Parts: sequence; structure tokens; C-alpha cells
Amino acid sequence: MTDWLAPWEPTAADPFDLAKAGHLLRRAGYGASFAERQDLVRRGLDAAVAHACGDGAAGADPAERWLEPLLAFDDIARLRETRVWIALQGSRPLRDRMTAFWHHHFATSNRKLQDPRALARQFATFDRLGLGAFDDLCAAMVRDPALLRWLDNDVNLRGKPNENFAREWLELFTLGRGNYSESDVRAAARACTGYTVVRGEFAFVGGEHDRGEVELLGARGPTDGDELARRTAAHPASARLLAAKWLRWFVHQEPEPAWVGELAACYEQRGRDVGATLRVLVRSRLFFSPAARRGIVKSPSEFVLGTVRACGARAAPKQLASAIAAMGEAWGEPATVEGWRGGRAWLTPATWLLRSNFAAELFAGRLGPFAPGADALLAPATSRADRAQLALDLLLDGDCSPASRERLLAFAASPAADGPGAAGALLHAVTALPEYQLL
Amino acid sequence: MPHRWNRRAFLQSAAVLPFAAALRGGAWLPRGNPRTLLVLELEGGNDGLNTVIPLDDARYAQLRPTLQSARRGALPLGAAPGGGGFGLHMALAKVHARVLAGSAAVLHAVGYPSPDRSHFRSRDIWHTADPRLAAVRADTTGWLGRAADRLATAGAGLPAAEIGGTELPLLLRSANAMVPSLRRAEDFALQVDDAAGAGPGRRAAIEALAAPRADQGLVGEVAHVASAAIEQAGRLRAALQRYQPRADYPDSPLGRDLQLVARMAIAGFGTRLLHTGLGGFDTHARQLPTQQALLQELDLALDALLQDLGRHDALADTLVLVHSEFGRRVLENDSQGTDHGAAAPVLLLGGGVRGGVHGKGPDLGDLLDGDVRPTTDFRSVYRDLLDWLSIDAASVLDGEFAPAGACAR
Repeated sequence: MTDWLAPWEPTAADPFDLAKAGHLLRRAGYGASFAERQDLVRRGLDAAVAHACGDGAAGADPAERWLEPLLAFDDIARLRETRVWIALQGSRPLRDRMTAFWHHHFATSNRKLQDPRALARQFATFDRLGLGAFDDLCAAMVRDPALLRWLDNDVNLRGKPNENFAREWLELFTLGRGNYSESDVRAAARACTGYTVVRGEFAFVGGEHDRGEVELLGARGPTDGDELARRTAAHPASARLLAAKWLRWFVHQEPEPAWVGELAACYEQRGRDVGATLRVLVRSRLFFSPAARRGIVKSPSEFVLGTVRACGARAAPKQLASAIAAMGEAWGEPATVEGWRGGRAWLTPATWLLRSNFAAELFAGRLGPFAPGADALLAPATSRADRAQLALDLLLDGDCSPASRERLLAFAASPAADGPGAAGALLHAVTALPEYQLL
Repeated sequence: MPHRWNRRAFLQSAAVLPFAAALRGGAWLPRGNPRTLLVLELEGGNDGLNTVIPLDDARYAQLRPTLQSARRGALPLGAAPGGGGFGLHMALAKVHARVLAGSAAVLHAVGYPSPDRSHFRSRDIWHTADPRLAAVRADTTGWLGRAADRLATAGAGLPAAEIGGTELPLLLRSANAMVPSLRRAEDFALQVDDAAGAGPGRRAAIEALAAPRADQGLVGEVAHVASAAIEQAGRLRAALQRYQPRADYPDSPLGRDLQLVARMAIAGFGTRLLHTGLGGFDTHARQLPTQQALLQELDLALDALLQDLGRHDALADTLVLVHSEFGRRVLENDSQGTDHGAAAPVLLLGGGVRGGVHGKGPDLGDLLDGDVRPTTDFRSVYRDLLDWLSIDAASVLDGEFAPAGACAR
């Protein structure tokens, strides 16, 4: 395919249908109910993309509404629960996805920080700036109290530099390995001396800032953290690093190298505006191509939140948040400085069982309230085959391999699909199909 | 960098070998080498100096004006080889009896060069066996995870497991081996809503949905993992059902975790590397009652585990290491507690242990920045354990470390 970032135009042979709407909302959001997907199909692709991007989202932003109570609670479990609640509202699908993306990117852990308030404020920064210019996000993050303490910049002092923050800034957040030297790391560390945290707020302590000349990324002179942020945000290597990550997150867990350069160019043409770039990506021919379809293993949050949202159900955020954490994606406590491995690393026999057991408990109503229940969800269908089809429509956009369909129909036709809990068991059965592990 | 998944190693570890074993002779893996290691971690930094207490050193009382009261009830180790001058905290009565009987060991002042007082970093160092570790990255592995990789290559389906945790600790992170985290054995079982009155055969029908199939690409890979999960869970369930406890476990989280350890070890499922933790040792204030209660819980749960293993004839093949990420400062703080320190003793119990007290006890006249100076490198302890397990220590530890000499081979 050439010119794959060009807008995809649906045709009579390849229409914007239930499967495409589900695909869009699972990636540019945490999924959507059957009714919502059907409605988006009727309204068409442009309206669906606008919905995902939160255009004209009605009502107060749930993320803003929850910030103050969250700061008051000062509890990491409450932070997770609140993020789950916000994602379940689904009023700003892409924004919520990108806040999670930036948390995976600027992966800061409360395990070391022991300061849930600082993390809540970092999430709020992602909410506010996550779809804006990367330059603005970098300018905020170089002064973010949680990030500075997480990477020891509060002990990065003139004459006694600590390189942890500077190294990760160059390697993980902006340029990527191979695009800077060890002397750039030392220079960046000196640039950030005196960027610290006092009583929870960012503070620039002039007396600890190294005002000497450094050579940073090919330019000489005195510098500081703000300039480090400006120059690294604008660096072409950052564009490639972000492009590759967005492709893994939104398109395919193993993107073609050729895609990376084109998405990076698109991002630079749009003045490094993240939202504008992603709007192009999720509307593109590549995004809706067969190559992208189900090319990503779901993360725990995508699995859990996607299941609840696909059913259009209400469920207890607290139980969902702890299920996601138990599956290995404890928001606020990333597994590594690089966030979570993602992709295939989520796929093991143990994680498969945890996911299957989560689904069994959720549909049986044993994980707190699940409303409307499984019986109500499948009530519109009367025959066994209709019920199987409806379960497939709800959870898999009605789209799976012939082998999966055959097995599900066999299940629905068997005595195993009778008696108490039959509807829940049928929905559980859909989650046991291999397609259901894929985004 | 994205983690590159090694499909060949995955196939070996996850599915092909268990299937082959099943073909050879039913549900049981052959018990080639049955030796099992449990690493029990005291989280938060246990105060080593009030666990293995210097009985005769006057400086101890000066440095610990209130905490020294633990010395009065201390259980002397003088009757054990190398134990002169030290006593165990009185809450460790059952461990003490085992040390005197020669089936448990104390190893003094274990640590690493340039001690780090951050829980976070010190725990990472113990978990990776790498004191120079800069940061935990996506491809960082733990020492027990690397050992699991060696076993996975040798054919164990599930060579290692975390017991009691919700997520995998760094020490069990491996390159290729599959390592589950089990709070309850039921977590690694397929749950099916098959209450009374449900259609017959619902479990089998759900399992059939995940039966092996021939799809290509990612769908095929998922199908493969799903069928491996069903198969392994079925074998584990069959294995665990054969276990009946032969000891009274305390009704505590640790008691439940250690009973699951016993089930895994006795079931002969082939899971040979286990880790669990007991939290709460970060005693910055009012340390005496807190540590007393925690050590008591440890003593009772460990004793039940060792009794149970013994009565199942599995004690000789099971070894337990008890350690913490660091000890605490020698000087008591102003809140009748202690702050983060450096080296601390470790305990070894079970088969393969050379009973008694090993290593050089802490010298309160020669402190390292106010902390107990490490006299045994923690990797020498790991070397002992890996040798006993017949796993190549040099490759797991990325270097040659002298054995600490606390274990038989």
C-alpha cells in the first residue's frame, strides 16, 4: 500500500460497518456498546472519528470533576479506580487513551514516590496536554514534581550531578538510544541541576543550578531544563520514537519500518501536534486495513474496560481496577522505567486464565454489580443460534474466523448452554475464542 | 525496546514438552530432579540486629537504649556450631530449635558492596543479583527468573511461580519461562459458572473452545497459548488434588501462602522455584511489638511448612531462604525504631542446609557509615542455592562467586 496515511474512504464493497466502528472505538477509546457502534455506523466514519476525538463532548469533563477529590484521598488505589471510572464514561475516548499512553511513556511509579497526589497531578497534566503539541507536554514534564522525584532530579545538584533524569529523558522520553552521546547525558544532567521539588511543587533553586557552559546536542552555551525540553521535543529522533510507539499502540504491535518515517513526517508537518497527528492516523487507510485488524494483544486495561464497555454495562470501578492491577497493569506502579512491555508479553497461559476467570466472574455477577446482567443482554435473541450471534455481535462485532464461529455455535447448541447462568456462560465462551484476546 | 519474543523457546517451555510428557505417560511429569527452593522475603527491611542478637557486646545496649530489651529473652545459639555470642529473637523459638538440631542455619551479615538505603533500589539489587543495576528495563530479568529459564530449557512446564502476590516480582522475571503469580491455586484454574442446575458439561464445553487449532498468525498464537493454559491448569489441578495437609498452618496470609508452597512442592508438578513475601518490617517507630508479631507469624508458618514437608517425605528436597532487602541502622532512632541500614543475617531451612551459624557476626566497633558491614556477598548465598539445585550459578549470576558454604551440594 502506498500513501497509507491518506484518509480511508469507505465503499459499497468495503463499508464502514460494525467491525470497523468497533475497531476504531477499541483503539481510539476503550470500546463501545453495541448500540453505540450501530449508531456510529449509521452516522458514518467522519462522525465516528469526531466522537472518538471527543469533538463537542457534552457535559463536564469527568477527569476535571474528579481531580480535587482525588487529591484529597491521596490513595493510589483510588487513583486507579478513578481512571477506570473516567474511561468507562467514554465521553473523551481518545483523550483517555492518550492519558494512559503518556503514563506508559513517562512511566512514573508510586512504589518509589509514595505520593499519590503527585501522580494524580501528573495524570491531570496528561489529560490537559496529552493531545496538544509535544513541545508543551515536554515543557510541563521537565518541571513535573512526580517525574523529577521519580528519577532523582531532586538530588541533581551543581557540582554533584545525578544523571538519572537526564538519561531517561534522552533515552526513553524523547530521542531514543543511539541518538545522543554519553557527553550529551552529562550535559543534560547539568542543564537540569536545580530543578527540584519543594513541598510538592516544582522549584527552581538558582543556587544549585549549574550556569557553566555545556555542549548539548551540538550546541554550546549555558542552558537549563526548559531548553533541554524545547530542543529534544523538536528533535527529529523524537518524532520517530513517538511515531513508532503510536503505531504499536494504535495500529500493529510490530509496525513496518516504512510506516514509522511517514507518520513521523506527518507529525512534524502538523507542528508536532499529537491530536492532529492521531486524528490522521485513526482515519487512515492503514488504520482500517486488514494488516491492522486484530494485530495487537490486548493489555489488561483494554481487556477489562473493553469487555464492560462492549456490553454497555455498568460495573464497579473498584473491582475492575483491582482486576486490571492483578493482571499486571497496576496504573501508578509501572513494571519498569519503560512502562509495560506490552504486546506479546501480555500473552501467557497464566494471563489467559486470569482473563478468562475475570470474564466468568463478571458475567456471573460475582465481581460486584454488572447491569444489565448477562440474561438481559442476550434477551432479544430467541433461538440458540441467534443468541450465539448476538453474543458475537456484542463482544466481537460479529466478526471472527469460521473455526471460532463453528465452535461457538456448537457450544450454543449443546446442553452446556442451558440452565442457570446460561447467558453468562455464552458470553464467557466468546471471550475464550482467540480473537477476543486481540485488539 | 519492545521485548522480542522467542517463539522457539516459548514453544519448548509452554506447550510442546508438557504435551510430549502427557503422551509418554499420563498426567505426571517425570520427577528428574525434585529439589525445590522457596525464597521468602521479609519486606521493608527486617532489623537483623534484633533478629540475631549479640548477647555479650556492651555497645549493643548503648546503641539501642530501648530496643535492647529484646536481648533479655533471646534464645542462645551457643550450642550450635559457630553460634557463640549470639541469640535468636525469642519469637523464633521453632527456628531456634531447628538450628540447634542442625536442620536450619543462620548466615551473618549478608549484603552487597556500597549498600543502598532505598527499599526500592535495594530490593531491585537483591532481585537482579546486580548491585550495579542502573534502572529496571523491559528486558531486565531476575536471578530466579534466569534460573527458571535454565529449567525451562531443561523441560519443566512451569518451572517457577510467585505465591501470594498479585503481580510478578522482579526476581522472577525471565526471558522465556512462563512464570505465573498465584494467590490461590484456583487462580491457575479455569473458572466456569457451573452452579447446580447449569447445563451438563459446561466446563468441558468451555475448554473445548480453547482446544488446539490450526490458525495462522496472531490468532493461531493466542489459540496455542489458550490450549496450553487449559492443559497446564488441568495438570496442576490433578496434582494439587492429591495433597492432604499433614500440619496445622496458622490462619494468616503467610500460613496460607506457605501451605500453597507445600502443595506445589509435594504435588511434584515440576514447579521448583517459588517466591513469597511477608510485609511490614519497615519499623521506623515502636519497633519491638511490630517485629515481635511478624517474627512470630514467620516462625509458626515456617514450622508448619517444614513439618508438612517432613511428613510428606519432601523435606530433604526443599530449601527455604529467608532474607530482607536490607537490615536497619545500628543506632536506634528517637521513635523507638530504626531507619534503613545495610547488611543483615539470612536464614536457611530445610533439606541441604548445613545447620549452625555461618559467617562473621556483626562487629559493632567496625561499622560502615553507622551500619552493619556486609561480610558475605548475597550472591555467594545464591551460589549455594543454585549449586544445590544443580543450576549453573555462573551464568545465572553473571560471574563466579565463592559459595557461602551454608548448603550441601
